[in-house]
Formats: sequence, C-alpha cells, structure tokens
Amino acid sequence: MRWRFVALSALAVGCAGLELVAGRGMSPGAVWDVLGGGGDATERHIFLQLRLPRMLVALGAGACLAMAGLILQSALRNPLAGPEVTGVTPGAVLGAVTATALGLAGWESPLAVVLAACAGGCAGALLLWLLVGRGGGDPAQTAVHGVLVSAVLGGLTAMVLLVEPGELGSVVQWLVGTTEGRVWEHWHLLWPWALVWGVASWLLTGPLTLLRCGDDIAMSAGLSVRRARTLALMCAVALTAGAVAAVGALGFVGLLVPHLAMAVFGADMRVGLPGAALLGAIVVCGADAAAQLSSRLLAATLDSGRLTLPVGALTACLGAALLLVVVRRTPSRTF
Amino acid sequence: MIAVLTVASVCALCLGTPYVPPHRLVGAVLDGDTTLAGVVVNELRVPRLVLALIAGACLGAAGLVLQEALRNPLAVPEMLGVSSGAALGVAAPLVLTLSLPAAVQPLLALGGAALGGGLTLLAAGLGRSPSAVLLTGAAVAAALQAALLVLMVMADQLDLQLIYRYLLGSLSARTWEDVTGLWPWLLVAAPALVLCAPVLSVMRLGDEDAEALGVRAQRARLVALAIAVVLIAPVTAVCGPVAWVGFLAPHLARWFNSSAGAVRWLPWSAAWGAVVVTVADVPARLALAPVETPAGAWTALLGVPAGIALMRSRRRDRMTEGSRTGTAAVRTLVPGPRTDTPRPDVEAPPAGRRGNGSQEEPGARGTVPLPGETTGTEDPR
Repeated sequence: MRWRFVALSALAVGCAGLELVAGRGMSPGAVWDVLGGGGDATERHIFLQLRLPRMLVALGAGACLAMAGLILQSALRNPLAGPEVTGVTPGAVLGAVTATALGLAGWESPLAVVLAACAGGCAGALLLWLLVGRGGGDPAQTAVHGVLVSAVLGGLTAMVLLVEPGELGSVVQWLVGTTEGRVWEHWHLLWPWALVWGVASWLLTGPLTLLRCGDDIAMSAGLSVRRARTLALMCAVALTAGAVAAVGALGFVGLLVPHLAMAVFGADMRVGLPGAALLGAIVVCGADAAAQLSSRLLAATLDSGRLTLPVGALTACLGAALLLVVVRRTPSRTF
Repeated sequence: MIAVLTVASVCALCLGTPYVPPHRLVGAVLDGDTTLAGVVVNELRVPRLVLALIAGACLGAAGLVLQEALRNPLAVPEMLGVSSGAALGVAAPLVLTLSLPAAVQPLLALGGAALGGGLTLLAAGLGRSPSAVLLTGAAVAAALQAALLVLMVMADQLDLQLIYRYLLGSLSARTWEDVTGLWPWLLVAAPALVLCAPVLSVMRLGDEDAEALGVRAQRARLVALAIAVVLIAPVTAVCGPVAWVGFLAPHLARWFNSSAGAVRWLPWSAAWGAVVVTVADVPARLALAPVETPAGAWTALLGVPAGIALMRSRRRDRMTEGSRTGTAAVRTLVPGPRTDTPRPDVEAPPAGRRGNGSQEEPGARGTVPLPGETTGTEDPR
C-alpha cells in the first residue's frame, strides 16, 4: 500500500513538473533558469505569478472534486453518484453565476463566490433529494434524475447568463472548467477551504466505510446513520463548491476518479480517501498539462494565437470515454 | 388543448411592441405591407409562430418514436446525444467562419445528430437496460458538449452571444425563409412516421414478442432512430435544440389518453409538442423584455418538472393497474426503469384522471394545427 502511495506521489510530482514547463511563453530551459534564480523579469513573473499558482490550483481542485465524488458515492451507496450527476456542480455554478449577476459577488471578491457556490450546491443536492425521495431508490434511477435536475439548473443558469450577458465570455470558459489565469488569490482562497473540509471528511472516513456496507450493518455497528450521512454530504457539497468556485465545472472528475481510487486502493476509505485526493490531483494536473501542450501544438500548426484548450474539455472527453467503459463493464452489478 | 393552443397563438400574435389588438389581427394580416402592424405580423410574428408549431410537432413526434422504440420513458433526444450532435454540426462552421450555403446546414445537423445517436446506441449495445442507454447517452452528450464549448471558447465575443443563444434553442428573428427550408425534410419524415407507427406499437410488447410477430427488433430500432434524427436535425438547424420538448410532449399525450396505443399517441404527441413550444415562446419573448430569453431555457425549466410529475403519477397508476390485472401487464406496459422496484406507495388508488382523457374525442386529433391557418410572433427590433 505504501508503495502505491509513493508511486502516485511521484506521478503527481511529475505531472506538476510537466505543468510547469508546458505552456506557451517560455521554453523549458528558461524555466530551469528561473528555478536556479536567474531569468529576466518577464520570465520570473510568468513562472512565479502565473504558472505556480495555476499548478497549485489544479492540484487542489482535482483533490477536492475527487474527494467529494468518493464521499458521495460512499454515502449514497451509488457507484454513479458524483457531483456532476447529483445536481451539486450545476447548483454551484448557478449559485456563483447568480451572485455575480446580482452584483453580490464579483470575480474580484472570491470568498463571496465560494459562499454562493456552496449555497447553490446545497440547493441542487436538496432538489435531487426531494425528487428521488428518502430511500434513494436504485442507483441508476437516481443518476437519471440527477441528469434531469442538472438540466433544469442549467436552464436557469442560461437564463441568468442571457439577462446579464456582460461576462459571458469569461463565464463560458468557467462553465467548462479552466485553470486559465488563476493567480495566487485563488490559491489562497482554495487551500484553507479545502484543508478544513478535507480534514473534516478524513475524520468521517470510518463512518463512511461503514456506510458503504449498507445501513443495516452500519447501524448494528453503532453508527448513527442519518447523522453520518448528512455530515458526509455536507462535506461533499462544500468541497465541490470550493473546487467549482476556483476552476469551474470540471466534467467527470468527481464521477470517475473515485472508481480509479477504488480499483487502486480498495474499499477502505481510510486509505481510499487520501488516495482519491492524490489521484484527482494527478488527473486534473495532468489533463491541464496536456491541454496546455496541445493548445501550444495547435497554435503552432494552425498559426493562430487565440486558441486555448480549456482543461475541462479534456477531462470531459476523457471522462465520457471512461464512463462508457464503466457502464459496459458492469452491466449486471450496477445496472 | 385547442383552447390552449388558440390562446397561446393569439397571445403570440398580439402581444409585444407594437401591440396589435385581437380584433384587428385579421385586418393586419390582410393589409400586408401597408401598415406597420401588418408588416410586423406578417413578416415576423406569423413565421415565428409557424416555426414554433412545426418545430414542436417534429420534436414531439421524434420524442415519442424514440421513447417507444427504446421502451424507455426517459429516452429523449437530449439524453441520447442526438440534440447535442446536431447542435455541434451547426455550430462548428459558424465558429470556424467557414461560409457554407444555407442548404448544407440541415445536412450538417443531420450528420451530427446521426453521429451522436449512433454512438450512443452502439456504445450502449442497442437494447440493453434503459438506464444503461441513458447514462451512455449522457456521457456521449457531455463529450459532444465539451467539444461545443471548446468551439465557443475559440469564438469571438460577438459570435459567442449568438451561438450561446442558438444553443439554448431560440426562435427569435426567424423569417419565412427558415420555415420554407423545413418543408422538404418534413415531406421525407411524415410518410416514414406513418409507416413506422404500427411497428412501434408492436415494439411495445418487448423484443421477443415483437420478433414473434415478425418485427426485426434491432433493425426497427435503428430505423426509428433514423426517423427521429431526420425529424430533429432540420429543426435543430433552424432554431437550435429546444430542450426537453421531446420529453414532455409524449408524456402529455399519454396522460390525456392513457388507454390508446402508439399509433394514436403519435399525432397527439406531435400536437402537444407544438403546443408546448408555442406556449414556451410567449414568456421567452415577453417575460424579460426587452431582452429576449431563449425558448429552450423555458421548455427546460418548465418541461422537466412537469414531465417528471406526469411520469410519476402515471407510473403509480400503471402499477396499481398491473398489480390487479396480472404480472404480464406490468412487464409489458411499464417501460420505466423502475419496473422491478415497486414503490411503496403502490397501493394509492388510480387517480381519477381517466375522466380527463375521455373528454378529448379521438376525432380531435385531426386538429394538428396546420401552419398556414395559425399565426406567428416576433417583435421588430
């Protein structure tokens, strides 16, 4: 088990390094210069003020989303639960967009955006809860209802965006999820939030492992099922809201990384949760590096400077392919 | 239904700036180009209304075809990737600033829609469990939307507004040209619909029974998908994916005459689709005037909750019926993904809504609104 962590950590560091050297504007050699203390002012600025926070935000957001997804899947005992299909992410997007449109929060005051996203995420989750009913029903049904809830919330978001079209350009990027232009402010906001809720959910890993076994077993082990589930869901919503406020609605990370984590670390959440966080960080950071590299290549081949590939597009495509695999592989068990 | 349709049409024609009182409508239409009201009504509002009716009818019929063919109350174009595929096909040349003749647009939409739908069905292995198909479809749709968003990120700010509006399904500023572009497609789709309707009612019995009756289930399903694509793609090319009409309309049709079969539901579903789009277009035009909201956002907002409510009450109803008449009825009549998990509230009595259905005589479905005799909407800007 320890070796797996070590290997994954090495992978994470590798991805982070790749993220630092990928991207337009400066060559890998220049990065090395800056690391050694040299380089001119522009290069130092690019590296220290743009690339470093971007990498950190990508790592943090990936970890948050993966943890939220794992918590949701365990607490609801639903392999298809994820922030995207339980209405949490669309709700958070709606909250953030609405708050911005109403002037309650601007992109300059990130804390208000986080709080609005949190409220929206809670509302989305609540909506699904009301729709599906207490029992939870069978997993696929819940997922389908979640997609419907997401459609409604997406319609509302569109409405808000069209009434206040001023920021459409930047918001569209954010709708698909991007790490473009994230600076230290975002990171300073993200890490305390992620740390607090990450620790909280880590404290809940024991109960969560029990919840995975089913309500009856958990109850006979002396767990207050309802309270544990509520707390876990709160953690998941808060983590998602933080990540969404930082990088936008990154597709499918929260749905599929937990499956990877379960495959690598097994079903013990005490190991699985940190593992999922690590894996999520790797996936988002790696995807961001790949997106930067490919947009660099595309820009070189197409000879147009305005082409940038948002990381969310890459994770969505990747995630869609993975979801197909998951759906196909487990026909009898899950569906 | 006719009353609702009439009210919505008159609203669509009268309201807005300039306001044309109902009693002067006929005069305005006859006046033609001579007065301001005449121009507005003839050139803007009438085509818009006609387009709303046609688009709604197409989407409603396509939704019913898909739902019946896949035996799945949630199989709607949006969740099968058909709509997003078509939208991608239309938006791509817009963003990449390729100049294409207008006639090619429906073809592109057709290609995109076929791609999305085919991909979903192939990936889901055709007739597997309904939820598997839906989740695969959601994945495909998400991937296609990601591609769309990449395109949007590349677009200029000005194009972006336009594309975003289009992607949500908007009927604003459509003229007679857009309407006439739809006719050839309708001519292809309508006979196909008539031909496939009986097959659909056989498909309802389940694959095995259908094959016993001489229907090749897989092939029929593919044909149904093809028809749905032909219906949806041209509409999407003109007014964007007006969301969730294909979900709501068939459920409305079933709600009002629950005892009928697929053949009878088909025209009803088309009619209800037309009603839904027309009704949704009125708030889209007026709710937040002078800003125009896309009709698709309204249909999504109102359609999904309404559709879910209908589906639930209907399922409950069917469950009770099934538990009385025998298990076979449950298996064949309840296509919902929940078939095998009876809800605890099964013992609720069948709602007294049968009465609603019987009020609508079967003959009334001949009143699928003819585009020519109704009237349209649009404000001059």
